[in-house]
Amino acid sequence: MSSETIGIAGPKPAGAVVWEAMAAFAWRFGAITVPLVAWEAAARLGWINVFLFPAPSHILATLWTQSGPHGNPPWAIPMHVARSLVRLLSGLALAVIVGTVLGVAIGMTRWARAIFTPLISALMPVPTLAWTPILLLVIGIDDRTTIIVVFLAAVFEVIYTIVAGIEMMNVKLFWVARSMGATRLQIFARVIIPGILPYLITGTRLGTGYAWRALIAAEMLAASSYGLGFMIYDASEYMSMDVIYGGVLLIAVLGYLLENTLIGRLEAATIDKWGVQGER
Amino acid sequence: MKPKIVAKGIQKYFGNVLAMKDISCTIHEREFVAIIGPSGCGKSTFLYLIAGFEKPSGGDLSINGHPVGGPGRDRGVVFQEFVLFPWLTVLRNITLGLDIKGVGRAEAEEKARKWIRLTGLSGFEDAYPSTLSGGMKQRVAIARALTYDPEVLLLDEPFGALDVQTKNYMIRDMQDLWLEADRTIVMITHSVSEAVLMADRVLVLSSRPSEVIADVSIKLPHPREHRDPALRRYEDEITAVLSAEVDKAMSLERQSAIGRS
Repeated sequence: MSSETIGIAGPKPAGAVVWEAMAAFAWRFGAITVPLVAWEAAARLGWINVFLFPAPSHILATLWTQSGPHGNPPWAIPMHVARSLVRLLSGLALAVIVGTVLGVAIGMTRWARAIFTPLISALMPVPTLAWTPILLLVIGIDDRTTIIVVFLAAVFEVIYTIVAGIEMMNVKLFWVARSMGATRLQIFARVIIPGILPYLITGTRLGTGYAWRALIAAEMLAASSYGLGFMIYDASEYMSMDVIYGGVLLIAVLGYLLENTLIGRLEAATIDKWGVQGER
Repeated sequence: MKPKIVAKGIQKYFGNVLAMKDISCTIHEREFVAIIGPSGCGKSTFLYLIAGFEKPSGGDLSINGHPVGGPGRDRGVVFQEFVLFPWLTVLRNITLGLDIKGVGRAEAEEKARKWIRLTGLSGFEDAYPSTLSGGMKQRVAIARALTYDPEVLLLDEPFGALDVQTKNYMIRDMQDLWLEADRTIVMITHSVSEAVLMADRVLVLSSRPSEVIADVSIKLPHPREHRDPALRRYEDEITAVLSAEVDKAMSLERQSAIGRS
């Protein structure tokens, strides 16, 4: 479409294209840096309470110290990040596996649809964090609690997009495979899984966003030593505002990278190769 | 000629609506039969019954003397809308039937090569379906159905989704392919000229609830030429039966519409 529009309007000079890209970047860069610079200036000039709002440079310096051997505890930031990521990835892996199996069952069989659809409709509106007190009582302060929270936060989105993906598939693809004598297992592996893969990745991307938010919150309630949520919660006990802001910054940056860069790229590549748009 | 597909008194209901009243016919081994009828008469449904995708509400349908239970490797299907696997290349789409059977990759490709050549797909083996035109996609679907070597080939309006030029070219271009395929072929179509050019026999179905109202053998050698006057006579004969049926159906529909209002 875009190439057509350009074709009608006549090709733009290369300089103009570069200029537009630079302007777009400048706007985005400015939208983040201008408030930060203002904050920095206000803190240094003593216009704001630096205990509640420490200067961004101070926050970054704290992050830097905490990331190294002189942190408290040493290498604190990498340890917190690593622990959070381990919990996130374990919970996500569980959500993708269970979500795929349940989603395919619901999409393909009448009995699974009858059993699971009402259950999922009832459970989906419950905020994931509402499960944390129950998990704490049943399991205790443990990685299993936070992993289950991540699982619950992501699994519904995975199921939902997979069911939608199966409904979008042409039923005649199954007919073709059955004419070739494909077994149920072969249909699952060769038709359903590749057919829903773009949807699975979309579901995982959306689920990752929810799971990351839920994980940080759950870590405030159910982590005893490490994790970004725990780090923020712990810092508030000691009123270390710089650590709290640093934690928020890390959560934002990591969340963005996970959802948009890592899985976003995978999603774009799959949609591109599958050519799903044209062939359904 | 040995009977291959035998239908006796096939009935099909959709809900309470009787779509097929009584379809009875015998399709012989290595015969190319075209089935034609007014739109909505259930031609495609009859093909899906033979393929085993749907079940008849009554009557007997058998292949090689065995009742049709479900889909199977003895029947290959080509759909109007191609139905290719978008994540597989042309070659992998075509070898899929053999891959599923567990045939080795080299052997599968060797068997596919013949049909890739005959369908005119050479050079497109590594392309993905989304990059192909409608005509090329249908060639892939035909090659895919032939490569796993089914005894019966079922074509559901194979040229129905193509533009007129592509369709006419494909019909001419593929005449040799059907001879080379040399197997039982059942083709659903709504084009009389397509049916008489390609098929050994044309069955005409009535409008709903359908039954067979004409069974015409086209006794002309292949490949055939569109302008052949003998072919034209067959075309006129079938068109006459079909238009009378369409007229009847239309006037009935109009009467019932008036009756209702």
